[in-house]
Amino acid sequence: MKHLLARIYRLLTWLLIATVAILVVPVTMQILSRYTELVPAYIWTEELARFMFIWMVMLGAMIGVREATHFEVDVWPVLGPRGNALLRIVSQVFVLVFALVFVWWGIEFTRFGWDQLSEIAELPMWTIFIAWPVAGAAWVLFLGEHFVENVRVLRTGGAR
Amino acid sequence: MSGAELTVGWAAVILFGGFFLLLVLRVPVAFALGLSCLPILVIEPRLSPITLFNETFKAYNSFILLAVPFFLLTANLMNIGGITDRLVRLSRTMVGHFPGSLAQINVVVSVFFAGISGSSTADAASQSKIFIDAQVKEGYGLSFSIAITAVSAVLAVIIPPSILMVVWGGVISTSIGALYLAGILPGLLIAGAQMATVHAYAKLYNYPVYPRATLREFLIAGLQSLPALLTPVIIVGGILLGWFTPTESAAVAVIYAAVLSIVVYREMDGKKLIQALSETGKLSAIALFCVGTASAFGWLMAYYQMPRLLLENVTSWNMGLTEVGFFIAFCFLVVGCFLDAIPAIIILGTTLQPLAESVGMHPVQFAIIGIVSLAFGLVTPPYGLCLMISCAVAKVPLRYALKDTLIMLVPMMLVLAACILWPEIPLILPRLISPEFLQ
Repeated sequence: MKHLLARIYRLLTWLLIATVAILVVPVTMQILSRYTELVPAYIWTEELARFMFIWMVMLGAMIGVREATHFEVDVWPVLGPRGNALLRIVSQVFVLVFALVFVWWGIEFTRFGWDQLSEIAELPMWTIFIAWPVAGAAWVLFLGEHFVENVRVLRTGGAR
Repeated sequence: MSGAELTVGWAAVILFGGFFLLLVLRVPVAFALGLSCLPILVIEPRLSPITLFNETFKAYNSFILLAVPFFLLTANLMNIGGITDRLVRLSRTMVGHFPGSLAQINVVVSVFFAGISGSSTADAASQSKIFIDAQVKEGYGLSFSIAITAVSAVLAVIIPPSILMVVWGGVISTSIGALYLAGILPGLLIAGAQMATVHAYAKLYNYPVYPRATLREFLIAGLQSLPALLTPVIIVGGILLGWFTPTESAAVAVIYAAVLSIVVYREMDGKKLIQALSETGKLSAIALFCVGTASAFGWLMAYYQMPRLLLENVTSWNMGLTEVGFFIAFCFLVVGCFLDAIPAIIILGTTLQPLAESVGMHPVQFAIIGIVSLAFGLVTPPYGLCLMISCAVAKVPLRYALKDTLIMLVPMMLVLAACILWPEIPLILPRLISPEFLQ
């Protein structure tokens, strides 16, 4: 299981790197087509850029849960490893609720876009909407991994 | 209220009460914003959690926000391309002979870097690694070193280009070109205030001074840094001349940074490039994910017409232009302590905009007051991202550097007050250079 999660994480990271790298392309094409004859003035560049961008945000949000890098406010005094693990479990239960909402209603959201096409490039909209339930599912997996680790710390007090 | 099951009061209790409770439980800000919307979306018969998806989708489906990853990528490419070292060398020849040399250099490099990157967090991360250790080795106090690195990093969102200005321009429809120009003077004044603070500290604690650099050294260092220093000129100039949209200008900056790092400075390889791309993706996605849930939160506030009710309340106090300015700054400073700047713009900026309009405040001045206040929020606890980063690099808890940070904020606050008292400070440059953007 741990292996599989690490694989998913690596896959998501590579996809994220790819989206960031590709993002520059349509915007550059847009500028080039305006000032030079090098590329024709495609009208779908702007839409494509926006859709890549949405995927970038959602992919990064998935990775952020595994790396625990989503910004949080810390008003607690320094807690021991056990107290910390307990607080993490509590906060991650709430994140889990959010993740399940993303899976459950996200599937409905994707169905809603099932036979919609985008305005300009006529891309099927579900290819974008599906990012929401996918994010929810990835969060559930990564939260499970954190949960196991936190329970271990609670039991052993953080010793390896 | 049309078709609302809940009264405004209850809706506000759920939204804000839920949000703060979740924050205290250390739920990440982005998730806390989304979660506090959920009970209302379920209770109200006309709404459903699908609203949350629609609002987040609409928020991300924005060509303007695309500039955010581009700005971060530019900063990261410049960093791995070895441009920071050259900026340090140039600053050394400029202010190295002032009392507190290395700390002065720290501030000046932040000014240069602010012109290249639009992200304070990127600035805080890269400069903490360079300066904190080096300053301590030269005998500066650790708390002072952390504080000056963190407070100078906030310049990145005040001096153009700036992620916050792009978001502000996109959310509250203000000309980003005008905001860029308006930020220059307040940014330089704040940098000046910081250098004065360093001077006072250096005199008090006898911090070391470098020998004065020769004019020749200055010219050589300047020549080496010139290509990097042209970045803000390209970004701001391209927008002012109408060549590019703000997003396109950010993409041009990325390509320019890549060409500089690969062809001119030649310090980039494939591994570093992958690392820059991945860091950019991660950081910008985390910052932007917040935009979606904050938009849903703001949308619900508007659904219950909370901004209008607030405005009616506040207008009954009969405040003048200056009082409203201070009131706005106060609101942003307080919210900036608890919230990241981008969601704060989306929620608070749109709420306060009618108030600013009602007293005839110029939208550009309103934006600068908001952005500068939120920039200060980057170093105020409990949620001061730049201070958190600097403390993390130095491996000390946040409260360790708090006292010096707050001392340094005092002269910076005076600059903010000046921007409120004299609207000319932010408005003079856009008025001189491109009055058409102020319409």
